[in-house]
Amino acid sequence: MTNRRTFLAGLAAASLAPVPGWASVGAPDFLAAALFPDGSYRLAGLDATGAILFSVPLPARGHAAAAHPHKAQAIAFARRPGTFALVIDCATGAVLKHLQAPAGRHFYGHGTFSADGTRFFTTENDYEAAEGVIGVWDAASYARVSEFSSGGIGPHDIRLMPGGDMLVIANGGIETHPDSGRVKLNLPTMRPNLTYADLSGSVVAQVELRDALHKNSIRHLAVRGDGLVGFAMQWQGDQTEHPPLLGLHRLGQKARLFAAPAAAQNSVQGYAGSIAFSADGNAIAITCPRGNTLHRFSAHSGTFKDALALEDVCGLGAGTEGLIFTTGTGAFGVLTDTRAAITARPDCQWDNHLIPIHCAV
Amino acid sequence: MRTLALATALLVPLCAHAQDRTPILMDVVETHILPRFTQLSGATETLVTAAQDDCTPESEGLRTAYGTAFDRWISASHLRFGPTETGDRAFAMAFWPDTKGFTPKTLSRLITAEDAVVNTPETYAEISIAGRGFLALERMLYDPAMTQQGSAAYRCALIRAIATDIDRNADAITADWQTYAPNLTQPGADSPYRSGDEAMQQLYGALITGLEFTADTRLGRPLGTFERPRPNRAEARRSERSLRHVELSLIALRDLAARLSFDHPQIATDLDTAFARAIDRAQALDDPALVGVATPQGRIRVEALQQSINDIRAIASAELGPTLGIRAGFNALDGD
Repeated sequence: MTNRRTFLAGLAAASLAPVPGWASVGAPDFLAAALFPDGSYRLAGLDATGAILFSVPLPARGHAAAAHPHKAQAIAFARRPGTFALVIDCATGAVLKHLQAPAGRHFYGHGTFSADGTRFFTTENDYEAAEGVIGVWDAASYARVSEFSSGGIGPHDIRLMPGGDMLVIANGGIETHPDSGRVKLNLPTMRPNLTYADLSGSVVAQVELRDALHKNSIRHLAVRGDGLVGFAMQWQGDQTEHPPLLGLHRLGQKARLFAAPAAAQNSVQGYAGSIAFSADGNAIAITCPRGNTLHRFSAHSGTFKDALALEDVCGLGAGTEGLIFTTGTGAFGVLTDTRAAITARPDCQWDNHLIPIHCAV
Repeated sequence: MRTLALATALLVPLCAHAQDRTPILMDVVETHILPRFTQLSGATETLVTAAQDDCTPESEGLRTAYGTAFDRWISASHLRFGPTETGDRAFAMAFWPDTKGFTPKTLSRLITAEDAVVNTPETYAEISIAGRGFLALERMLYDPAMTQQGSAAYRCALIRAIATDIDRNADAITADWQTYAPNLTQPGADSPYRSGDEAMQQLYGALITGLEFTADTRLGRPLGTFERPRPNRAEARRSERSLRHVELSLIALRDLAARLSFDHPQIATDLDTAFARAIDRAQALDDPALVGVATPQGRIRVEALQQSINDIRAIASAELGPTLGIRAGFNALDGD
């Protein structure tokens, strides 16, 4: 099987002229957006130790990115309510395309490719109707193909389920309108959900939290190879309450919610920023930048394992082993069953999300 | 719980100096928070009496009492935490913005069905919060679509039920603030606030959120875009209170900001100057329902007011926030 490295090596070898840019120094294992010391917002490619292999300027603060399953291409999103996404050639750093949200829509900052790499799906706000939309794009021409309902308000993260025939969507439930910036317009009536839909938008299943948790916005997702879905939440209710911020769900079953012990849970200010399964799938973790902590749980029982104190930690993804995290202070580190270490600390502020690149050509 | 040994060696700097926040917290509670709710309760009681005396929508006594009580709520509504937030009480006082038109739908449904929920305060408190509070009452007093629907007798009962519900809600908030206030002034193990810093951060949050709401929602919604202004989205436009709410909220937030910055005279001066400029602009606007957003001239002035509020926000987060132990974490403040 050809992996990404040999694919890129092949690309480089096939070129008669030397390939400019970062390809000559190796292929990235992760993508992450950051604020750089010169004041520019950039998308960076990182290796497994956290070394920056390349960076590409973004027109504004970034949020998440998505990696193409076959090609060395990534799509970088603006932070919501951004209306642009950039298709970046990871071999040259060149911006190949600008995805522009249609009129009356803005992106939420997350997207995912279909397994065959022909389609790209984006979470969007139809803000006059206050309805969530999934935009469907041709992943070769990056033309808009179609769109369908996200099954709720405020879709944020979206992931492809194993098998590739279903999407899972985190409908955060919060209504916003660009006229009012990021102000939340419907807190008393918000009702987040987890929606499973096929690739044409037919809803397969929807999961809601119980009434008392209707202000727990389901925002970010992690999917394990066997279809177990992890979701991270952001509490919009009374800040002196400390509800669970981690959920696990398997299609056809009930969602299970998990919290750290009270002292740890009470320190996170109801806010989880990212979620990921560890490389072996045995652990799941959420980052809590407001509580300056990372909480790790068993992915099987949901039992709380430990907390790691990290200032402004947010980005999170599986590494070759365990988990990799990034922080708003520039740290890049690894967390396994036996080790926690900062392996790099470049002079930049890592943004919310760390995107592992999994290529399966 | 096991915390990895590395954790302490890592990145969280220890709090250098714990400051005594008690004097400021006492001051905010005693002179800013509690009096506002006491005044609110008094005004909502007067509103109930006025509705009992004369429930016709055009009644001068009723409209005056309504205006005074709504003033009191707007002057306290930035304090939306603790007892104000419990059980969505703040939204039950003022359900706005109502982006999907739930309030008129709820009221029409009640009127059409002559629903008996109006007969007791307990049952009225159970209906959708969109049918409760000052914006629902505004519809009944100022919206021709509502003041002519159904029977006069039922509309009268509905007006009285909404007024009574507002008063009961205000009383519950006020009573609970009396018992909740020590949580702020005596933080610690028995309080939701573990330290004076955390209590200060809650109050600072109320200041920032209040400024954000007034700039981005009270002004941002009617401003819309240059191509598509939305004067019909102004808050309480039917009673022509939209601009008044901007002014009242700024006056209340100015008072809170002055108390929070008491230990830092330069910051207090910077904030007060910025507030004075914004309030001056609001008072000079002479556009009570913000209809001017639809004209180029009027729009420029509303945008200037909005900018002056954003200037206050910038000063608060750049100068006041850091003195209260608010670290401007890149991700912690992002909210995504």
